[in-house]
Amino acid sequence: MNPEEKIRISFRLNGREVEAHVLPGETALHLLRERLGLRGVKEGCGIGECGACTIVVDKKAVNSCLMLAAQLHGCEVLTVEGLESPVGLHPLQEAFLEHDAIQCGYCTPGMLLSAYALIVSRGVPTREEIVRALAGNLCRCTGYHQIVDAVQDAARRMAGKEEGRW
Amino acid sequence: MVKGYSRPRSLDEALEMLARLTPRALPIAGGTDLLVDLREGRLGECHLVDISRLEELKVLEKRSGKIRVGAGLTFSEVERSGLLRECAPVLVKASSQVGSLQIRNVGTIGGNVAHCSPAADTIPALLVHRAKVVLRSSNGSREVALEALLGGPYKALLAPGELITEFVLEDASHMWGEFSKIGRRRELAIARLSLAALARKEDGRIGELYLALGAGTPVPRRMESAERALLGKRPQEGDLWEAGWLMAQEMVSVSGPRPSTHYKEKAACGLLVRTLLPLLEDGS
Repeated sequence: MNPEEKIRISFRLNGREVEAHVLPGETALHLLRERLGLRGVKEGCGIGECGACTIVVDKKAVNSCLMLAAQLHGCEVLTVEGLESPVGLHPLQEAFLEHDAIQCGYCTPGMLLSAYALIVSRGVPTREEIVRALAGNLCRCTGYHQIVDAVQDAARRMAGKEEGRW
Repeated sequence: MVKGYSRPRSLDEALEMLARLTPRALPIAGGTDLLVDLREGRLGECHLVDISRLEELKVLEKRSGKIRVGAGLTFSEVERSGLLRECAPVLVKASSQVGSLQIRNVGTIGGNVAHCSPAADTIPALLVHRAKVVLRSSNGSREVALEALLGGPYKALLAPGELITEFVLEDASHMWGEFSKIGRRRELAIARLSLAALARKEDGRIGELYLALGAGTPVPRRMESAERALLGKRPQEGDLWEAGWLMAQEMVSVSGPRPSTHYKEKAACGLLVRTLLPLLEDGS
């Protein structure tokens, strides 16, 4: 019934090797959310404008709605489900709670992952760097200030600590 | 409808695939425009050839006074490049203003040009850097001026099976450059108008000046009437307004009157003045 070929891919997802057979036109968002059950990957606009679907691929924030599932092959992928460790929430998540950086929560996974990628690459970023790195993540509730505060706070807490869970 | 996907391991393999699968073959790099088209149902039956990992498309070097910039470089890679910051300042500034970080991390300059949107940010920048485009197919390669590739809105004049592999820019070391745009909001906005400017002053006079307007005409283009009006001058603010007006007239003469003309005429003029203010006699 389906004449399309399936492509076999393997990649590291939240620290674990996974294999999947994907359709050529399938998005990374569809694979992660609908087929692998990672509901933290949200579809907001589907055209790369809202950032709700942000994931981290090879340490860079990307829109999973604009990436093919097949393009994940061989990559290191992080979704919000991989942020938490057995010991507890990630410092970024703790900071979001403490700073009331969440209201409806829909943008939160994407915000956390954009912030994570920023901190991994920049250490303790300036406020301007945070604003610029989060500009691709829309939040219609908080007004952003609490989010920027939370990221700044988390970056300071994470400074010097080993981020060895990749 | 996407019928297939392949990830060639080398440029030669990619070109061979594009030739074999033509006319259904469609190269995909960052995919940030292509996946929107796919979602909107604008793609016909196609087979995607993934060129996003080809090292051959990531050339970055200065050779005999020219800057070679791989078409597969992402906007983020362009923005971070020390060589390009020094030798291609307008391209760096334009790349840093594309979409969002998520888009800049995967979107490529080759893709931006091949998609050929009237509002593509890097096209005006590449125009002021007088870019030549290197195109390759399984039959060989050719080099054309960027202008010759811009066939119309969303119509780059690529032959079947042809791929943009690199851009060759004039060295703009020690030149002043700027890229500014007007959008409906500051981030993530598609440019309603954009202006790329590259200039060199000699003893207070404008010795060289290149201007290119984006989103004002069917494809971005150099604005030579405004360039000529300022060349050799020690410009006062009034000269900028005059040049801005000439540019607006050139834009309208190319595009014809449109519903947005009343707005864009004044906006184009103001954009030129705002962008070139640092070139004034007493400008910093």
